[in-house]
Order: sequence, then structure tokens, then C-alpha cells
Amino acid sequence: MKKTIKETIKETIKESKNSVDYKNITDFYNPNILINIGPSHPATHGTLRLMCQLNGEVIEDTKFEIGYLHRGKEKLGEVKTYHQWFVYTDRLNYCSALINNIAYAMTVENLLEISITARCMWIRMICMELSRIIDHIICVAINALDMGALTIFWHLYRWREEAYTMIEGMCGMRLTTTYARIGGMFYDVPEDLHDNLKKFCERFPKALDEMETLLTTNRIWIDRTKGVGRLSKEDAIKYSTSGPVLRASGVDFDLRRDRPYYAYADIDFDVVVANNGDVYDRYLVRTEEMRQSIRILKQCSKHLQSANGPLWVDDRRVFIPDKIDVYTKMEVMIHHFKIFMEGIDVPPGENYTAVEGPNGEVGFYIVSRGGPKAWRLRIKAPSFLHFQMMENTIKGVKIPDAISILGSLNIIAGELDR
Amino acid sequence: MRFAMGSSIDQRATYLQLQKAANQKLQDLYAKDLHFELDKINEPILWVKNMPNLFAVICYLQTDEIFKINYLSDLTAYDNIDHIDGDKRFVLVYQLLSLETKVSVRLKLLIDDSEDAKTISHIFPAANWLEREVFDMYGIVFRGHPDLRRIMMDERFIGHPQRKEYDIKQRMPFADNMKTNLDRNPVP
Repeated sequence: MKKTIKETIKETIKESKNSVDYKNITDFYNPNILINIGPSHPATHGTLRLMCQLNGEVIEDTKFEIGYLHRGKEKLGEVKTYHQWFVYTDRLNYCSALINNIAYAMTVENLLEISITARCMWIRMICMELSRIIDHIICVAINALDMGALTIFWHLYRWREEAYTMIEGMCGMRLTTTYARIGGMFYDVPEDLHDNLKKFCERFPKALDEMETLLTTNRIWIDRTKGVGRLSKEDAIKYSTSGPVLRASGVDFDLRRDRPYYAYADIDFDVVVANNGDVYDRYLVRTEEMRQSIRILKQCSKHLQSANGPLWVDDRRVFIPDKIDVYTKMEVMIHHFKIFMEGIDVPPGENYTAVEGPNGEVGFYIVSRGGPKAWRLRIKAPSFLHFQMMENTIKGVKIPDAISILGSLNIIAGELDR
Repeated sequence: MRFAMGSSIDQRATYLQLQKAANQKLQDLYAKDLHFELDKINEPILWVKNMPNLFAVICYLQTDEIFKINYLSDLTAYDNIDHIDGDKRFVLVYQLLSLETKVSVRLKLLIDDSEDAKTISHIFPAANWLEREVFDMYGIVFRGHPDLRRIMMDERFIGHPQRKEYDIKQRMPFADNMKTNLDRNPVP
């Protein structure tokens, strides 16, 4: 028997009414509403995708999808020479490019068994603390911006610009710095750095105080953040979170103090720890860490002024000669050519070096089999583990709270996807 | 000149004493049957034999007084196609750390193309995505893993890009009408 078109349509409608989709859309109490946040969404600050199953406004189940910004950096690390790969470290966590530069330089220096000079070390420490401040400013300001507090954003971004201007004076770039080199820094610091740093260290804490009067005791801010996204101490360790997120959950661990590198043991600073592990505590930890970074900056600036030694390590394997010598002396030109065309010969071996980045433990694991290229270059990114933690602990919170949790973790897509 | 002022490791640090004791203990305990070595910054590398051995070592490190390992810093792998590190194709690397004693240990395991690894995500839940990444990049299968899918690459992607035979310029465009299997578990 042949069906008429009318009958077919009727049957299709009948079928679709029984289907799961139809039920999900029309049944008010059905808990299976699916919603997609991202991959391109103003609240995600990067290409992330949160697939949420909702019951009313409460998230019942989530799956996150990443990889939209995957550029194959680890594969590129096996193809490019050690020097060429420096530019890729800038694009990991692009809010604090200097820390990535320096962490990578440290790892390669460990492979070569080089100790850098004192002057270079103080410059690096200043760079690291400056970029930590910048990264925390971004995190706190954007987190407040997502919840509607626009003033904080304008107020703090002025100081971010000041810090970027100092970095620009040091290396000529603002965001993608490529400042560190293996065994030294590409430029020495400008003469006006100390004056600028002094001004910055005097005025920025005042701006922080003003920000705190706007946020820390603000009823709306407390209501939106206190008790939101609470992460217990056990969960924080279990999911391998690090940095401010770990410390906000009550774990007293900071690589700068507990596994010290460079001269952090000689510097007075406090490790900031909070108890509750919610968005409010993460905000408090980051704010206080900015103050501690200012303390470190002041001391480093003093040390740098008294360290007048050479900037570069006295090692012919890695030393990059001055441009004026390259153009005028034959041997220096050959040396320069060898370093940039062939690369540095790194002896076989491996190490894992981690530094305390603004988001957490930034680590590089390099396996060298000799020659100018790494055999394996692994980047340990804190955002990757934080995002995984969020996928597992977000169940039961509401959508606007999920956005504030996402902001408090400071997920940077460049670091997440590598 | 080695490890002077600008060293990336502060030689006066208190954890280094414990790290030395831990290295010595690892050597005393395992150097008879397992290969033990120190890396460039004197951190211990222990080559475990197989998966059950790995679990035994991790269990021991979790309970021992000196180690008290409770934190997985990193989990990764690398290609051993030139067989410098052993006969098998890949090396799995477990970077472990203790938040209490600040001691770190690196465990390494040789694994072949045809072999399956076992997941450690029930010990360290953080290993979930890290193992997915290793599966995506190297094609090492982790048995017992709750959700072993690709994580960085598209699910339609064929091959494993971090293997040495995968050329850096080997691109894989997808046609618009190619079906995706998003959220389907297991991926058909």
C-alpha cells in the first residue's frame, strides 16, 4: 500500500513528538537541556568550549573540549633549534611571556650546565615579578569584568600599561618579548628602569588599595564570589592544581620558597595562603601576591644596581656577540653565523625544570640526544590541569558562577592547547 | 663554576638534603633490579620494568617517610625510535612530586607499539587528561581509562602527530561534509 504525502508527514510529526529531542525542548521539568558556551564567546577569553547539561540554571554534567588553539609547539620544538624556539615560548601564556622565556632558558642552561651571571639573574627576577603582576592584574580585572565590575578593569589596566612600557624599554616589545637568551639576556636594561620601577613600586600599591576598597568589602562582589567554586585541599592536590589556585585551597606550597631557584632564598617575601578555595579567596591570594611581588621588585632593583658585572656568561658555546663586532671582526662573524645557522650543540641528557609562574607551575622537560635540536620538548602548562579540575568540580553550580570560576582560574588558551 | 650565584638551583636550599637522601634510598632499594640514574640537575630517574612494577613503586613512594609522594607534576611520553634508551618504541615519563617533603622523582617506563599501558587516573585523577594527550600524540592506549578520546587533535584526525615518522608539514584538511562523532563514547 502506498502512503500519501499527507500520511507520511503525519507519521513524521507523530514520530518526532515521541522523540527525545521533542521531549527535551517542551518538557519544562526535563533536566536534559544542553547548552554550549564557546568556542568563541566573550566570557571564555580564549577558544574553549564548555558543553553543559542543565537542569534549570544548574549545571548537571559537563564535558569540556579544547584544542582549538593547538599549534603543535611540542612538535615544533623537535624541529627548530633551541634558539629558534624562543619565540614560541612567548605564545604560551601570552599574558606573562617573560616567565615562559626565562623558564625555557633555565631548562636549556641546566642541560648545558651553565650558571648565569649575577646581573643577568637580577634582571631575570625583575622580569619574572613584573610579568607576574601583569598576569594577576589581567586575571583579577577580567574576573571582575565578567561579573559586571567594569571600573576595576579600567583602573588596573592603566598599571598594566605602565608595566608594559617598562618591559618595552627593556626589550623593545610589549607582549611577545623574546627577551631571554641561553646564557644571558638579549639587551641590558635601560638607565631609566630603576626610576620607573621606583615610581611603579610606590604608586601601584595605592592603586591596589583603591581596588580593594571597591571589591574586597563590596557586598555584591562577596555575594558573587564567596563560597563559589569551592575546592577542597584534597581535591586541589588530587587534580594537580598549582599556583594561586592551590594556595587558595590551603596548601602552603610555593616553588619560589620550597624549591628555590636563582636568589629567591635571599629575598624577603611571604607565601600567600588562604583557606576556602573559592573565587573570593583566589582573588585575595592574587591581590596579596601582587603586593609581595612589589616587595621582591624593590629588593631586586637594589641588588641589580650594585651588580655591575657582565651580563653574559663567559661561555663560547652560547655567547651571542655584539652586532658591532659581528660587522667588523671576522672571527666574531663566523661565531655568530655558527650559532644562528647551526645552533648550539647541547650535550645528551635531560631535565625537568619548573618555575612558579603566575598561574602555577610552568615546567619544561627537555630530552636531548645531542645536537642543536631537542629530541623531546614537553611543556607542562598549569592551565591544562586547572581546566581539567574545573570539568570535574563544576557540577552543581549555576551558569553565572561557572563564568566567575572560569575567570578565577585564569585559563589562557595559548598555554592550554600549546 | 658550576651552580654558583646565578644557578637555577639554590644549593643552600633545605629540600636538597632530603632529595639527596631520597636519591640514596632509591638507589639502595631498586638499583639491584632496576636501572637508576641521575639527570643533569641530580634528580633521580628510575626505569621501572612493567606496569605492575610501576604501581608497586608508586605505592611504595606514596607511603614512604622520605618520599611521601602525593602530587603528579606531569605525565608525558617520548618517542624512542632510535632505540637509544631501550628496545621498545616509546618511553612513558611520570614526574612525581611531594608537597610535604618537596622531593621529586621521575619514573620511566619503556613500552612497545603493540603493548597497552594501564591508566593511573585512579591514583592521580589529574592523569586523566594527560593520558588522553599521550594517547592523542603517540597512540599509546591506556587500559582502564574512563574516557580515552583525542584531546588536542580533531577526532577525524588520522595518525599520531608527535611520533617521529609524522612529518611536520603533513597537513590533514577535512572536507565539509565529513561526519563528526562529537560526544560519542566510545568513538566509532
